[in-house]
Amino acid sequence: MSLGTEATTGHRFALVDVNNFYVSCERVFDPRLADRPVVVLSNNDGCVVARSAEAKELGIKTGTPWFQLAPEAERMNLVARSSNYELYGDMSARVMEVIGRFGAWQEVYSIDESFLGLPAAAEPAFAATARAVREAVRRLVGVPVCVGVAPSKTLAKFANHIAKHNGHLDGVCSLGSLPAADLERLAARLPVTEVWGVGARTGEKLAGQGIQSVADLAAADPARIRKKFSVNLQRTVLELRGTACIAPIDERADAHQIMFSRSFSTPVDTVAAMADVMTVYAQAAASRLSARGLQTAVVTAFAGTSRFAAGEASNPSVSVPLPEPTDDPIAIVRAAVAGLEARLVPGVRYVRAGVVLSGLTRAGAARQGEFDLFGTPDDDGAPAAGRDAQAAANLGSLLGDVKARFGQASIGLGAGGVQVPADWSMKRQYSSPKYTTEWKDLPVAKA
Amino acid sequence: MTESIDGAESAGVLRPRPATGFASPAGDYYDGGIDLNRHLIPDRTSTFVMRVSGHSMAGAGAADGDELIVERARAPRDGNVVVAVLDGELVVRRLRIEAAGPVLQTEPLPPSPPVRTRVDGELDVWGVVTRSLHRL
Repeated sequence: MSLGTEATTGHRFALVDVNNFYVSCERVFDPRLADRPVVVLSNNDGCVVARSAEAKELGIKTGTPWFQLAPEAERMNLVARSSNYELYGDMSARVMEVIGRFGAWQEVYSIDESFLGLPAAAEPAFAATARAVREAVRRLVGVPVCVGVAPSKTLAKFANHIAKHNGHLDGVCSLGSLPAADLERLAARLPVTEVWGVGARTGEKLAGQGIQSVADLAAADPARIRKKFSVNLQRTVLELRGTACIAPIDERADAHQIMFSRSFSTPVDTVAAMADVMTVYAQAAASRLSARGLQTAVVTAFAGTSRFAAGEASNPSVSVPLPEPTDDPIAIVRAAVAGLEARLVPGVRYVRAGVVLSGLTRAGAARQGEFDLFGTPDDDGAPAAGRDAQAAANLGSLLGDVKARFGQASIGLGAGGVQVPADWSMKRQYSSPKYTTEWKDLPVAKA
Repeated sequence: MTESIDGAESAGVLRPRPATGFASPAGDYYDGGIDLNRHLIPDRTSTFVMRVSGHSMAGAGAADGDELIVERARAPRDGNVVVAVLDGELVVRRLRIEAAGPVLQTEPLPPSPPVRTRVDGELDVWGVVTRSLHRL
């Protein structure tokens, strides 16, 4: 049994992803970064989260702390940038829209990768579409993408990997157009951990069963794999053989929570300041929730001290079940603030915090007001409370609309609406301007 | 016809009666104001805004501090004002495509003379400038 042989006709999956996405975004507006080693740093300029090809060639690894690289940066001609999430978010939206124009359907998988459905066609048409996607994103948005096309998502990921690592393919690989001998050679050579969804631990366990390469896994008995491992890995085997059986991300069981968490540039050591943090984070999580059309049943709030700090360690976490599933930012903020407040140890310096929304369900189920959001309901109970819930829903979407038009800091609940970022907000010493989202930060063209 | 309507029947439109007061007579015609995005940004994936720094393109209508609408979707042609990559910088210039190759040309206000830069090798045009937003 070799790769993808069970499907030679029918529709295809394309996996399109941007090469070194964060670095590529920076390069669009700063030509001096071309051909130079560039790294992008995590929150608070902590460690490397993205590398240009040149930085990879220097042997710089993802996760390397910046303080280790900084003294050598000049000698290496290395440039660092802080994460510019506003820029990456805007560029991602542009890239995804361009990609979507080429498919029958689209599933945005992460900030820089998307699956695309290609209707049934003759094999050369798949590669032609893939090349057209790559050319369009390069020309319209300015960033390079790689495209892998195959009969299943897992194989599309594999094809994308081949496109990325074989220069002569020019960033595009439709599995069906590769000579069968080449494909077999690649599948026999690549370790099984290169397969989408197969981690290091599963890889070790597979090796114990004599399954080392991608080809070995494709040839494994699916029923046996299910028994020894999991139904997910069985699906992976079927996908490698060309049978598409991985559901879209929204329908999968692992899309079960929404998290918004950050580290602070300066520690937070008062209850009032932590209430501000929770207000901001809970709103951010709530807006992700409503953007996905979901409601939450449980709000979890947590905070933590630094692992490296000398003083007292404190990692409070509290889960607040809501009376009813909701996407109302006010209810979510209240739960997060009140929940965590009681658990904080006064005087302890917290360096990170977050809000997790879980027990997610689709919004749209009838609201029955139990929230008591705007005071006591009228005597007739349910209808008035229902009206309050409706008012809260309207307020929630208004907050979202205003933010969309005027920016994240334009309006909010409590401290979430502050104009000047509080001093615990992220340190971004090497940030490029917000070229595409701030009028004062527009890229400059010299005349 | 037992449904209550607000008199728009003759126009072929049935509308539920408003809860209170009179409908604005302009309501049927109001369809939102002029949306500059619609007119200035033909494709939101490939249209960018940049700001001019310097005086060498004032003669072309791109003065110091003006905002430019830059479209990446357009193929650059002879005579276009373009944003190009020159010596690691984004520059605004008039593009001339000549027999000997592309030329980037400044266009200052008279009496300053234009400066022509012949590009050796491949010219990297970032986008075509379609509008200048000039503050009066």
